[in-house]
Amino acid sequence: MKKKFPGLSLALLTIIVIACMASELLMTKDPAYMDLARGDIAPCREFLFGTDAMGRDIFSMIWYGGRVSLLIGFGATLISTVIGILVGSVSGYGPSGIDGVLMRLTDIVLSIPGLLLTVFLQAVLGGADVFRLAVVIGLTGWMSLARVVRTEVLQLKNTDFVLASKCLGGGFFHILRRHLAPNFVASILFMAVMNVRNAIVAESTLSFMGIGLPLEVISWGSMLSLSENAMLSRSWWTVFIPGVFLAATLLCLTNLGNYMRKSISRRHSNL
Amino acid sequence: MKNTYMTIISELIRFMLSVFLLSVLVFTMSRLAPGDPLYAYYGDRVEKMSLEEQEAARERLGLDASIPVQYMRWLKGAVRGDFGISYKYKRDVKEVIAERIGNTLLLGGLGFVIIFILALLLGLFCAWREEKPADRIVCGIGTVTSCIPEFWLSLLLILVFSVWLGWLPSAGAYTVGMDKNLADRGRHLILPLTVVVLGHLWYYAYLVRNRLLEETRADYVLLARMKGLSGKQVLYRHCLPNALPSYLSMMAIALPHILGGAYVVETVFSYPGIGTLAYESARYQDYNLLMVVSLMTGVLVIFGNMLARLLNGHIDPRTDRRAGAFRGEADGL
Repeated sequence: MKKKFPGLSLALLTIIVIACMASELLMTKDPAYMDLARGDIAPCREFLFGTDAMGRDIFSMIWYGGRVSLLIGFGATLISTVIGILVGSVSGYGPSGIDGVLMRLTDIVLSIPGLLLTVFLQAVLGGADVFRLAVVIGLTGWMSLARVVRTEVLQLKNTDFVLASKCLGGGFFHILRRHLAPNFVASILFMAVMNVRNAIVAESTLSFMGIGLPLEVISWGSMLSLSENAMLSRSWWTVFIPGVFLAATLLCLTNLGNYMRKSISRRHSNL
Repeated sequence: MKNTYMTIISELIRFMLSVFLLSVLVFTMSRLAPGDPLYAYYGDRVEKMSLEEQEAARERLGLDASIPVQYMRWLKGAVRGDFGISYKYKRDVKEVIAERIGNTLLLGGLGFVIIFILALLLGLFCAWREEKPADRIVCGIGTVTSCIPEFWLSLLLILVFSVWLGWLPSAGAYTVGMDKNLADRGRHLILPLTVVVLGHLWYYAYLVRNRLLEETRADYVLLARMKGLSGKQVLYRHCLPNALPSYLSMMAIALPHILGGAYVVETVFSYPGIGTLAYESARYQDYNLLMVVSLMTGVLVIFGNMLARLLNGHIDPRTDRRAGAFRGEADGL
């Protein structure tokens, strides 16, 4: 049961990413320009996706804001992956005392409600900008990755090639980079892709709830934070359009991630 | 027999230790975070208070001491069951929570039961029709629903069913004055419950499906088929029982996620539950309330993990140290 390569998802994702990175070429208006007199205009020829309550052009905001959302998604994943690999490999490779401490720590961080952890971290880091939000989201998403890395390293550390490297005087980071990482990278690639997805969801949810990016910093999440207003004015496009882009990106990432997950077995069902 | 007691005792010690560490961590973190709890208590009146008045208020609320001293005070009260008052509601924390916990248990509990049953059925169905059109369609729809952020789904549902069609209420747990009316409660529950179920369902159904597919590739399936059992019989009588332990332990871990993870849904639907309370208390430095809410969720998580570990070890001794397979839902938040 080899999985079909998700070509459509990859293509769509590439288009969205490129369009967001090159948003300057696509934008028909200044995405930050507010024209309160022309708020809540339904999609028309001038405003392809309509305008939001502040009179900003949603078509331009989609591409401009998508850049921020994607940036946070990838940035946060970079942070959480690095932490996850470090904690997981030290825990798996090191003596059982360190392993115990690190895993208890992971358990405890996991048992703090995610939302509270985010609010705390944000309060400690202060301010809400793109970089800080990426750090906060990254710091709350490394736990399951660390667990998987630990399990893999536990299995790998007693292999002959690691032992040989140790005997030849290889240090921890050398062994991690040359011997351990190449062996567990396949199993965490899937999780990393899923982390990108989770980080994008986290950004949009936090911004929507008013504890992520402020209204002026355009992202797919902050665009949706005006939705209360949209409910009253019935301007469905201000809710619908950013969400569709958000969901489409997430769907593509999920399909890619699922493809990367090691196929459970190549054999046929015996049923 | 002696072994069982030892396991129980060591699990208990681990449990207590985890809860203790969690309380220290949350306590310290909430106090280190900038923000003034006086605002939670007095609102904007704080700005009109003189410095002396502010100091006096801080002393009255016990916020003047150092963090370790404050923690010891809190711990002393907590072991006697006294968790202090909520700064915002100016009432005993326990009362504030007692008022709302029913709503959360109703939403989360019902959601959990529905997810538990539906995920198993969907997983079985998909495994049975593996790679056939029916399976592909369900998988496709499932993947799409799992990709829709909960808050956006909530918004869409409100937009369609409350704003456009006007069929269902968009906020609250009941219409004012009708809190004993079951039909009214039910109507308020439909939309949030839909979001809770759709938000988690596919994640678990897909795991069940994949777990069952792993089983169908085992050799005993061939043997059972050779004996003359039909594919369906093998799936139900042999594969399902083998997949159930990991499903149960997975759902033990899922319990706190579903019960305590509904804060986004609760916030969007202004549902008066623990989730909205947690969100408020974290944002407005309502320390005492925050402690209890975090500990409740935390205890639930630790308990769920413990339950899963015990279930695993009990049903299948081999899985003793095989942590990681289903642990921790990759939920982001």
